[in-house]
Amino acid sequence: MPKKQNQHPILYPCGQTRREFTWEMGGGFAGTALTWLLAQEGFFSSNAHAEEKKRPGSPLSPKKPHFAAKAKSCIFLMMNGGPSQVDTFDYKPELRKYAGQSLPPDKKFINSGGRKMGFLTPNWRPFKPGGKSGLLVSDYFPRVREHADKLAVIKSCHTDSHAHGSALVAMNTGSTFIGRPSLGSWMVYGMGTENQNLPGYVVMMDKRGGPISGQPNYSAGFMPSTYQGTLFRPSGNPILDLEGPEYMQQASQREQLDLLARLNREHLKKRSGGSDLAARIDSYELAYRMQAEAPKTVDLTGEKKKTLEAYGVGRKPTDEFGRNCLIARRLVERGVRFVQLYSGGGHLEETWDAHESIEKNHGRHGAEIDQPIDALLTDLEQRGLLESTLVVWAGEFGRMPFSEGKNAPGRNHNPYGFTIWMAGGGVKGGIDYGETDDFGFEAVTDRVHLHDIHATILHLMGLDHELLSYFHQGRKESLTDVHGRVIRDICS
Amino acid sequence: MRPGSLEIVALLLSFSGIFTSPLSAEPDFEKEIAPLLVKRCLECHSPSEKKGDLDLSTYQSASAGGESGPALGKPGKSLLLKRISSGEMPPKLQGKSRKLPENEIALLREWIAAGAKWPKDRTLSLYERTTEKRGGLDWWSLQPLKETPVPEVKNTEWIANPIDTFIYRRLEKNSLQPAPRAGKRTLVRRAFFDLLGLPPTREQLDAFIKDDSPGAWEKLIDSLLESKHYGERWARYWLDLVRFAETCGYERDQLKPNIWKYRDWVINALNKDMPYDRFVIDQLAGDEVSHRDEQSVIATGMLRAGTWNDEPNDAADYVYTRLEDMVHTTTSAFVGLTVKCARCHDHKFDPIRQTDYYRTASFFWAGYIGQANLGGPNASQLGFNVFGWTDKGPKAQPLHLLVKGDRHRAAQVVEPGFLSAVPALEKSLQPPPPGSKTTHRRLQLARWITHPENPLTARVLVNRLWQHHFGEGIVRTPNNFGFKSDPPSHPELLDWLASEAVRGGWKLKRLHKLIMMSSTYRQSSTHPSHDEYAGRDYANRLIWRFNRRRLDAEALRDSILTASGRLNKKMGGPSFFPRMSPEALEGLSRKATAWGSSPPEERSRRSIYMMSKRSRLLPLMTTFDFCDTTLSCGQRDVSLVPTQALALLNNHFVHEQSRAMAERVAAEAGKEQDNQVRTAWQIALGRSPTEVELMAATAHLESQAMHFKEQEQENLPLTSLCHVLLNTNEFIFID
Repeated sequence: MPKKQNQHPILYPCGQTRREFTWEMGGGFAGTALTWLLAQEGFFSSNAHAEEKKRPGSPLSPKKPHFAAKAKSCIFLMMNGGPSQVDTFDYKPELRKYAGQSLPPDKKFINSGGRKMGFLTPNWRPFKPGGKSGLLVSDYFPRVREHADKLAVIKSCHTDSHAHGSALVAMNTGSTFIGRPSLGSWMVYGMGTENQNLPGYVVMMDKRGGPISGQPNYSAGFMPSTYQGTLFRPSGNPILDLEGPEYMQQASQREQLDLLARLNREHLKKRSGGSDLAARIDSYELAYRMQAEAPKTVDLTGEKKKTLEAYGVGRKPTDEFGRNCLIARRLVERGVRFVQLYSGGGHLEETWDAHESIEKNHGRHGAEIDQPIDALLTDLEQRGLLESTLVVWAGEFGRMPFSEGKNAPGRNHNPYGFTIWMAGGGVKGGIDYGETDDFGFEAVTDRVHLHDIHATILHLMGLDHELLSYFHQGRKESLTDVHGRVIRDICS
Repeated sequence: MRPGSLEIVALLLSFSGIFTSPLSAEPDFEKEIAPLLVKRCLECHSPSEKKGDLDLSTYQSASAGGESGPALGKPGKSLLLKRISSGEMPPKLQGKSRKLPENEIALLREWIAAGAKWPKDRTLSLYERTTEKRGGLDWWSLQPLKETPVPEVKNTEWIANPIDTFIYRRLEKNSLQPAPRAGKRTLVRRAFFDLLGLPPTREQLDAFIKDDSPGAWEKLIDSLLESKHYGERWARYWLDLVRFAETCGYERDQLKPNIWKYRDWVINALNKDMPYDRFVIDQLAGDEVSHRDEQSVIATGMLRAGTWNDEPNDAADYVYTRLEDMVHTTTSAFVGLTVKCARCHDHKFDPIRQTDYYRTASFFWAGYIGQANLGGPNASQLGFNVFGWTDKGPKAQPLHLLVKGDRHRAAQVVEPGFLSAVPALEKSLQPPPPGSKTTHRRLQLARWITHPENPLTARVLVNRLWQHHFGEGIVRTPNNFGFKSDPPSHPELLDWLASEAVRGGWKLKRLHKLIMMSSTYRQSSTHPSHDEYAGRDYANRLIWRFNRRRLDAEALRDSILTASGRLNKKMGGPSFFPRMSPEALEGLSRKATAWGSSPPEERSRRSIYMMSKRSRLLPLMTTFDFCDTTLSCGQRDVSLVPTQALALLNNHFVHEQSRAMAERVAAEAGKEQDNQVRTAWQIALGRSPTEVELMAATAHLESQAMHFKEQEQENLPLTSLCHVLLNTNEFIFID
């Protein structure tokens, strides 16, 4: 177990003073919540509340985690729709034996959406061992299989909802109810980010659409919006409002900024205590740099042909996810803390939601992402970034081991048992953890709730899920609430 | 107090213990022993917790003891004394010893030696007094309002009304002088933004500046309070508090039909200066009041404005989640307490028991809380085509307390009742009158909230008003007046204002005027001794100057529309859809049908009429800290981040409005550049440019003209200048 550095007082986590702690209770005190200003000036008088001190840095400036950890950034590959565990990473040979039978009646579950009940159905594609570890991975992911020795496959996950809307929100925020900060928000809140010219928390959607429930999946909930996820597009201007109308060329904008700075400085001169005003003047220069910096991250012209080919850029069906994976690497390289990539967008077959046919659906989506993920893991490793980058592969839930009707080739949602994997920063490779029952229906051994997944991800980043808290409306809130257990067996 | 000084005190006290003869007067139970037991022991050894099966709340239970045996007994045998002296109790916290100071151990020893006398029938309660760890029934916000006499101060010249005396006395004590009075131009802008959320027109500005009569300021405030735009400004604060948005959230994110009528009801209620007690009663129980009509039923939309999940994992569980939403919104907004924290256990910091949570939840339990019809009654059940709330009938099912909030661990039935933290107002609920269609529970809750002796309601209300005028409340945690709240900077002022609110028949406009007529409010935001004073009171808690404030999202957008001349002042009715760029819609699972379209005139309406869709809020608004719509928000963040600069530099809305403003300037000022610059300054900033500014601006027009000479569009250089003005600090900060 890593030793904790710079031990924080329990009541005021993240190196906060009592003042900041108090401050956050009401979601910030308007007049003084000018966070940049607070970064620059002595925060508070010695008179009124003597113990209140200066706030360390801007809200996004890098902060030390709770303890030393290998991972500095995280790439979360979000398998929107819920991939089937028994067809991908959780091999259940018994299913062959039980094929055509019903799930035993003592297994209780909610049949999501009241869909047709079918019969136990074995894996649609064969499993084969990969790497020295011999982890079994199905033929939907032949290239990811090559990286078996890097993967910690967690087969005993379970979550709190069978419906996409709330399960996605739960995988992202820890709660099935919308309104809480998402994983990336907690990370940038706890650790800041390394590059102030880029957002610290980036989300890249699938072109087919965003996740069900929308914004709450990447919102900062009750934290300041500074910590929310920024949507990033894979070409041109990756973030909103990076460029004005066409007639506005760079030279003319530069003149605007110069005039603006001049007017603002005149304005500042006449006013006392203008650190808020000065901070806003600075924010324009920062914005100007972001305009230049952000498009560079998605400009792949400088990448070697070999690299583009490796990611499958420019070729169907890998182009989109390949591009996103490559951009994710470039973002991580530039110090972005948390990058989330969606595979699947919109609804049903456009996502991993394989009600109609596992083979068709997983065949299609697997082919889109298998090679890009292979390239991402290889590339990160070759650049020495894998050690400091935690890669997570997960959907919002899994799928049932039985079909949706006689000889029906699809499977319904399953929150009772599903598989995710992690690789890179601080993760022990080539292992699996936990088990589902013989049918792959529900987690039975070393069960891992989604709070445990979150606790483990934070732990791998050097954050203690019990210390990382935010005081909101009278309560110390945290990602894992009062739950969560770090899966130490998968940490190196 | 410096670290260490506590220890010194403890040491001194323990020395004094040594010199105290053991035969001296035995400790006084009420004064010395009860506080000690409550503070140090009862958190765990209470009837509800009973750690180690030990309950120290009564003599009987204490002497009976717990698992290890009787707790009291003779000094040599007393388990309580043994555990405490050894430091075993109170138990270590995070590895740190919490052994009691010697003097406290000595007190207990003396008490036990003298026979552990315990007054007959005296039951200790964890809540009876405030300790270092939690608030008790003696917590300040739970005490009756104190009628504080208005203090006397030396500088009577500065005093415009009693508010100033409270403020000045603190300044005086700290040897601080208030800032000089703000200039007239500053004051007009401040008053307009504060009350209307809009800048003054040039004519309005000039009229005030020219008016030298002593009553000019008062006249201005009166006229602004009569403006219909007042309601549009202040309703927004209320909508934040009741977590208002127009869709349900989650997968389908359905539109709540007619919920906009609730938004209009709030605006109208404020414009009519509806007394606050009536304002509360209608929102909680507009379906139960004797004056029940369509409007009062619309008001109950407050209870239904939150999120609603049509596909909860477990519908039977979900009703309890909805109860929590209603309990939380109601108690946060009206009484500033975090009652929801007591859903699973007694509150950790405030004297709110778990039964209090269920008492409060009972008020809503009789309603249509199930899954049908977007989680509420339909129009025929309500009697009007509105989106409101009502009970299923005059009787409610019993509501059980759920152990640890778990539906499968239902315990005793909890009768509806009021918070026990306000014992003076505790009484049992009346049954509904014969023939009633509802339980009349919510009406009784509303009456309890608005009872003139409710210590919380008026304090919470006036603090909110103060906060929106000054940027900070007297209590800086507007939704939490409990133990974890920020202590009031001016407690007497808070109580005085609260009493004024009740005395004045709960009329808000009167309070606005009172606040704005004060010299405190009319101070400049710039102080000649700023640096020195800031070193002593950086956060300006003592209010030695006015707080300069960044415009919030709505005021900013509305000001831009005012400058461009495009603001459509149409009031009320269904919300409009602003233009959402395709990029901004990418975050949605149903992109094509996700967003409606509205004609351009509609899109130029004030921001309060903008559709708020929970799955996609307009980025321009959230970038400027529009709040999350799932929980009651008492105060928005005010951030200053580069993405805001990006939005104001590049967003299509800002460019469109800059273009419109340029057309307006050109139409008013003609071709002459100096005239254009002067007009642009007047429109955007309400003043003439200085010589330096004029020169810089004309130079800008010239050099921009060079860049745009290939362009066909007209007025591009002027558009560029207008755009710069909309980006200035002067435009976005109110002095």
